[in-house]
Amino acid sequence: MSNAVEQSPPTEESEVLVEVEGLKKYYGGDGMFADPPVKAVDGVSFEIKRGETVGLVGESGCGKSTLGRTMLALENATEGSIRYDGTDITTLSGKDLKEWRKNAQMVFQDPESSLNDRMTVGEIIREPLDAHDWKTMNDRRERVLDLLSAVGLPDKHYFRYPHQFSGGQRQRIGIARALALEPDFLVLDEPVSALDVSVQAKIISLLEDLQEEFNLTYLLIAHDLSVVRYISDRVAVMYLGKIMEMGEAEELFADASNPYTQSLLSAIPEPDPTKTSRRITLSGTPPSPSDAPAGCNLSTRCPAKIKPESYADLDEDLWEGIEQFREVVRERARIALSTGDRVRRRFDRFDRFDDIEESRADTFDGIEVPERVDEEIQTAVKMVKRGRPTEAQEHLYEEFASVCDDEQPEMYEVSASGRYSYCHRHADEYEDVDPVLTRRADSD
Amino acid sequence: MSDRHSTESIREELTHRDNLSLTARIAENPEPFVWWAVPMFVLLAVEFATWGGILVGMLDALVIGVTGLIDIVVGFVSPGLAQIVTDFQAGVVGMLRSVGGTLGELPTLFSREVIPNQGHQTPNGAWQGTFLGLQPAVAWALRFSLIMAYALFTAYWAFRGWLVYRDHYRESDWTPTDDIVNNLRGHRWGQFGIIVLVVFLTMATFGSALAPSTVSQNIQSPYSDESQIQYLTEEGTVETVFAGDANFDSKSKGAVDTNVGVMTYDDYGRFHPFGTLPNGRDLFTFMMGGARITMIVSGMAITGAAVVAMTLSMLSAYYSGSLDLGILTVADGVVSVPQLLLLIMMSAVFANTWLGAVLDGGFLLALIFAFTTWPFLWRAVRGPALQVAQEDWVRAAESYGQRPRNIMQKHMLPYVLGYLLVYASMSVGGIIISLSALSFLGNGLGISPPTPAWGRAISAGQSYVSSPSWHISLIPGLMIVLLVTGMNALGDGIRDAIDPEVETGDGEEAAAGGGA
Repeated sequence: MSNAVEQSPPTEESEVLVEVEGLKKYYGGDGMFADPPVKAVDGVSFEIKRGETVGLVGESGCGKSTLGRTMLALENATEGSIRYDGTDITTLSGKDLKEWRKNAQMVFQDPESSLNDRMTVGEIIREPLDAHDWKTMNDRRERVLDLLSAVGLPDKHYFRYPHQFSGGQRQRIGIARALALEPDFLVLDEPVSALDVSVQAKIISLLEDLQEEFNLTYLLIAHDLSVVRYISDRVAVMYLGKIMEMGEAEELFADASNPYTQSLLSAIPEPDPTKTSRRITLSGTPPSPSDAPAGCNLSTRCPAKIKPESYADLDEDLWEGIEQFREVVRERARIALSTGDRVRRRFDRFDRFDDIEESRADTFDGIEVPERVDEEIQTAVKMVKRGRPTEAQEHLYEEFASVCDDEQPEMYEVSASGRYSYCHRHADEYEDVDPVLTRRADSD
Repeated sequence: MSDRHSTESIREELTHRDNLSLTARIAENPEPFVWWAVPMFVLLAVEFATWGGILVGMLDALVIGVTGLIDIVVGFVSPGLAQIVTDFQAGVVGMLRSVGGTLGELPTLFSREVIPNQGHQTPNGAWQGTFLGLQPAVAWALRFSLIMAYALFTAYWAFRGWLVYRDHYRESDWTPTDDIVNNLRGHRWGQFGIIVLVVFLTMATFGSALAPSTVSQNIQSPYSDESQIQYLTEEGTVETVFAGDANFDSKSKGAVDTNVGVMTYDDYGRFHPFGTLPNGRDLFTFMMGGARITMIVSGMAITGAAVVAMTLSMLSAYYSGSLDLGILTVADGVVSVPQLLLLIMMSAVFANTWLGAVLDGGFLLALIFAFTTWPFLWRAVRGPALQVAQEDWVRAAESYGQRPRNIMQKHMLPYVLGYLLVYASMSVGGIIISLSALSFLGNGLGISPPTPAWGRAISAGQSYVSSPSWHISLIPGLMIVLLVTGMNALGDGIRDAIDPEVETGDGEEAAAGGGA
């Protein structure tokens, strides 16, 4: 990539600015009768070095914005620590917290909602200074004008209202406000995704210039992979509250290790029509963050899932069919039954799930199913038809669960540059991700 | 306008000057300000005693109310301290009343002394004692029209002050308020509401000068020495009589020969624009006195309710959770108390205490109405408040450590204030009607007699509705309808003005465009 020259890969001696360890953020779940908590961030550890840009990608709802907000102490962490220059900010409160807030600021996604329409641009940018009683009034005004020119806006905009600006200009105002207190660390929460493409490029290059000028450290939250690839030194990929893979940007994009990263990257359209790319699709939808799988987060959808030992010899198509069928049963288990249905179930008159038979037939259409597998499937079908999909789910789990369903993988170092991936397949006893994906893709 | 600042001068202005205050900007370009301020000064000066009197009267009521409450609270702890509070109250009130007395002696331009309408006919048919010897009706009409014109013009001139500020002294070329004002300027129904409000406020402020007689002479102490009037007898002599005795012969009792109707003179040469009451008192004077107490009580009640609703809506939206739930529970509790029952009970309990005496019982009513109204206002503005609390700019303010109080004040309140204004002006109608209903019921409810109250006039005229004395019930009823409709119109106007759906169609956004 041509832009590789512009990026300065962090050197060995770069000092660590932010260190996140075992961070968890759960919503709800407290109280005796509460539903299980929503695990927005579920045990995340990583470091950000001074002066670098870390990209954080993942599909919507994976917890990346929550992670960003928790790192700025805008949300209280449920567990774990966030060390900023050696201070654990999860323990700060009151005056200390307010003082610390000078160090870290945020740029918001939606420039329409991040600026108060009833204040002038000058007041908006000055407010952080006012809140911290920064120097004298004249100094503050001068600083605001400096910031306006730093983000490329003329002085005369001081007395205008946000209403009078375009989206890109409003985002510049938001950036100026974030810079007012001279922070070292900025969380950029989807800073360009609400903007026109032509404006996106300008804002991104502005962010790059500002990073150089003020020696800033960025955490860039985005779902646009090309933006992340362009601006980031390192990239973390998040799925369902966990970091799946983290490493140097170029390396990660060129040679991803984790099955999830690979499927994410395979979704980028290939501009070269002669090149055939392998498209890895994940089956189904992500599970709810309040009902995450017990083992690996991706185990319900993984394209490279490990087979249990007793079924290791199963055909790839059949294995895929079994996984799909398990997903169907899981969906059924999520449906809440009405009282009428419960009464019918009690008296063996339940028929709402009779179509499971068709689902089974569709799933295993044209696949040869050995008797011992078929037996288990039929047992599960009967359970579902009786109105007990949860039992069926447990039955299938007991029969077909592998290490992916049972155990959470460790973070394996997968490259010399210090890239980590969260997958059982990196352990010595299992076949690695790539050959499996290639084989399974070929068998389609 | 947009070229008022050149780029270099903005930096200079902002950073090399000790302050950017309004006075500095006015000193730089005093002409528009002077052109506005001198007429405004003259307008206020000619009625200085009236404005001052209103101010002193409000301070007086405030001091009595606040010190009274402190007195009660302190009284639980130490009677000695309570005595000190009482002494303080007596001292301040005494001082305020003496200031008020001095103000009352100052002349005003549109007073009844300058344009008198009370006089008597001489045997040769000419009028003596009235302004320029005009008929009492003409003199009264002249004074009434002058005062109304003065009040409306003063209100307009005060608004013009804002326009002068906007065009000459404000640093921003455009603010969101401009849009609201522009929308309201094209909103006839809302303007009707504003005019009604100004007219009724004028009645409350200038009531004694607007009426053909005074409340003290005609209603409260018609048999005091100051309440004697002169009139021309049928025998052609000029006699002196107490206003009370004259009232006795000017009753409107429904029969043709015992009725002083709208726009007529009674036998004592007194002009009655709205006729007389069944006890012979002047209805117009009565209505002006009633306007004052109505505007004060309903104004206090709705202000109190709005302040409580505003504060609680900010707290419940910003902190939400159990605080919100707590307020919700309290509000539901207050709503479930039957309002009329509470009013009757409280009026009875406080009937003979100092609290029941402030503003002739009006202060207590204002407190009760504020207490029963705030939950409705709170519910109405809680939604918008919750919505604005979700905006990113509130998160942003938290992220740089802004204090919660400032966040609520600067980032949430301005968005809720408009809604609050709309709902407050819509709810004040209900308070006005309830207030009149209490006076209508009488029996110790509502404003204590003899202080005029609209509801009592309606009640007095009840049995004469279909007689020649129809005016007694009809006119107060129409006044109430007009005021309530006006307040609703005002609410409609504000709602339409702050509604973002209303398009103003000016090109400000385009003018500021360009660049990324």
